[in-house]
Amino acid sequence: MSFAGLILHNITVRKLRLALTALAVAIGVLTVVSLGVVTHSLESSDLALLKTGQADFTIAQKGVADLLSSSIDGASVARVKLVPGVAGVTGVLIGTAKLNSDNPQFLEIGINPSQLSAFGVTVVAGSPFQAQAANQLMLGWKAAQSLGLHVGDTITLDKNVFKVVGIYSTGQSLGDTGAMLPLAWFQTYQRQPDQYTLLFVQIAPGSSVTAVQSRVDREFPQLVSIRTLQQFGRADRSLSLILAADRGATVLAVIIGAIVVMSAMTMSFIERTREFGVLSALGWTRRRVGSMIMSEALLIGLIGVAGGLALAVLAVLGIQHLPSLRGVLHPDYTVGVFGRALYTAAAMVVLGGLAPAFRAALSRPLEALRHE
Amino acid sequence: MSDLRTQASQRSAEGAALGDGSLGTPAVEMSQVCKYFDGGLVKALDGLTLRVERGECVAVTGPSGCGKSTMLHLIAALDSPTSGTIRVSGIDLSEERDLAGYRRGHLGLVFQLHNLLPQLSARQNVEVAMFGTGMNRHQRSARARLLLADVDLEGMESRPPTRLSGGERQRVAIARALSNEPDLLLADEPTGNLDERSVDRVLDMFRRLRSERPAMTMIIVTHDPRVAASADRTVRLRDGRVDQHSAI
Repeated sequence: MSFAGLILHNITVRKLRLALTALAVAIGVLTVVSLGVVTHSLESSDLALLKTGQADFTIAQKGVADLLSSSIDGASVARVKLVPGVAGVTGVLIGTAKLNSDNPQFLEIGINPSQLSAFGVTVVAGSPFQAQAANQLMLGWKAAQSLGLHVGDTITLDKNVFKVVGIYSTGQSLGDTGAMLPLAWFQTYQRQPDQYTLLFVQIAPGSSVTAVQSRVDREFPQLVSIRTLQQFGRADRSLSLILAADRGATVLAVIIGAIVVMSAMTMSFIERTREFGVLSALGWTRRRVGSMIMSEALLIGLIGVAGGLALAVLAVLGIQHLPSLRGVLHPDYTVGVFGRALYTAAAMVVLGGLAPAFRAALSRPLEALRHE
Repeated sequence: MSDLRTQASQRSAEGAALGDGSLGTPAVEMSQVCKYFDGGLVKALDGLTLRVERGECVAVTGPSGCGKSTMLHLIAALDSPTSGTIRVSGIDLSEERDLAGYRRGHLGLVFQLHNLLPQLSARQNVEVAMFGTGMNRHQRSARARLLLADVDLEGMESRPPTRLSGGERQRVAIARALSNEPDLLLADEPTGNLDERSVDRVLDMFRRLRSERPAMTMIIVTHDPRVAASADRTVRLRDGRVDQHSAI
């Protein structure tokens, strides 16, 4: 029997302790991973929305609950265009429509066709819509592919029938899963005349993005410029709240998990006090006894991680299929998410196992042997 | 058991480094050893002086509470004396820093309640005593099997203690105590909880040990006159001191 074999034997022989402790770790990992995947997916979607415009930075209304609630009037757009260093501004109105049960929040972008090129849009089939057309749109190539539609076909959005006049590509996944419509018609339809959701700003060559951004922030206190994901929270409070909740839940998961792990392990190790006394009497060093306990804790933690990850994948699948989130949430299982799972479990196990390990390792052999 | 001696385990380096091994040094030398509990209210040992030569088998007897087990615990470095000195193979235990290495390298311990680990099999119980001795798992396993065969437990290696009789458990404990080729075997009431037949087998085992390992010193705490009679010498304790020596 090897030392590793002894550790494996020790944890498998106490199945209830293994199950309870691993479950505590698994619940922590489940919380951290599922929240992490959801928030990361939302972050990625938001970032993708910003990147769709291929701009140097984006401008939104300050302090809105979520980015799509942003509203900027045409006068502000005209003034932003005059800010020194600004080479061009593309204003878009963004909305969502229920297309079908698989696409409850189909992305709609109202844009002037003359700005398609500046917005980074390439028409890959057909042609752009007319600026004043009321029943024309272009589909992103991914949307066209998933819906099985081609140029010349029709599509119904919110009871309006549109002719697909073109297929476009933005190079961004989110943008390519939606549709682009004439801005003027879309503003009227949305009852937001001369209003824009976001402004995509391009900087003149040689100008400093940061300097222009600062100037915009200074001159337009009702607006906020966004260049990085970190600045995103300035415009989208919902995401900030979700991120804060995610971090809070991680800390809570670690604390609660560590308490449960510590409780389960302490109870188990108290029961095994005599065993540790015997091992000490047989010549085991404190370090070896402590290593055995911590190794058992870490192995249980690993089992918890595996179980937690499996549960998290199932949970995210469930969340993904909630009617309100169907087609919106695209789970992104990054290395970072798995890293968080590992360090969360490690934190729980180390915090939970360290005290019992020290207690066992430092106990006097004779006292341990007399333990009932 | 002689087979086992030829296949002796590699004693741990730190354990082997302890003691000078010279023939003139007594195996155990206790001088004016006191062990008090509860701030001196209980005097378990009160000026005990005892010398045990190498290869000697000493039975320690005496009424309950006279300090027999305490004496064994102090020699095993499971506890420390209030005052006095204890030397084992020339090592002053009060100055020894690696007491785990000392126990692993020099001692074999047999407890009255055998103290086997319930979640492990008989073989694994013997193997755990060999961790840290430099043996790999194959060597540990092979040696454990040999030791168990030598205490007549062949075929019972994979049984947990709960599926062994009291006598069988005690023999597993003896096999475990012998696993690291100890210089000194300490046994605390090894027949205390056994039936007549099991006592006979354990006694027979001790006799075999003495003939096959003449260099090994044995100190056996016992109430059983038959066990005492099998020793070279009996030391009777009373009130924490040696009351009487008697050679057999």
